[in-house]
Amino acid sequence: MEQPALDFDTRVKLAIYRYFAQTGQRPSSAEIAEHVGAKADEVREAFGRLRANRVLFLEPDGETIRMAPPFSGVPTQHRVLVDDREYVANCAWDALGIIAALHEPGTVISTCAQSGERLELQVGANGPALSDWVFHCLVPASRWWTDLVFT
Amino acid sequence: MLFFRSEEMVMAWCRARGVTPRPIVSIPQLWGLATQWYSTRLEPNARRPGPAEMREIFARLGLTGSFWDPQADAFGA
Repeated sequence: MEQPALDFDTRVKLAIYRYFAQTGQRPSSAEIAEHVGAKADEVREAFGRLRANRVLFLEPDGETIRMAPPFSGVPTQHRVLVDDREYVANCAWDALGIIAALHEPGTVISTCAQSGERLELQVGANGPALSDWVFHCLVPASRWWTDLVFT
Repeated sequence: MLFFRSEEMVMAWCRARGVTPRPIVSIPQLWGLATQWYSTRLEPNARRPGPAEMREIFARLGLTGSFWDPQADAFGA
């Protein structure tokens, strides 16, 4: 059965996510404009709507992607290796989220926030290897988007 | 949202910052959160869970209480 055409914002969102998935890097609005065959201004406006809908988090310039969760556009302490590709995650949750989104086995590389001890966690098709490391979040769920960078 | 080597490391981290420790989440629970949030993220119909769905997801993973309530007016520390 033929699939219905996707609306513009969904096409932009998919182009962003597929760029991250293929490269591990954030795309520019110009690169997304080229990909979806639209003008840069139209794509920048779509970025703003996607930010309002909490799909993207943008830098103060209003067009550079800081986060397309689980992917980060900037370096963090949470990295993910899948095949020969390297990704950056926004947080510990998103590090596992990248592997869940890609549906490929990978390795999460991070550190203990207190001691600095290195974490290297193998994640297969059925989930992470047995580990007694833990996850801790200081911000309650009702405030996660109040200051997403801090969260 | 950070990784720690152990619960003791969480407590030390919180003490050093003068903040109240929050619920500890195991790696299997975190994998449950990751798959529920992100397994369809690269698909056209992907969407973030709404508040009611979030509560269900948290409850299934054993994460209950006001900390995990996305619509809590006040979070009791």
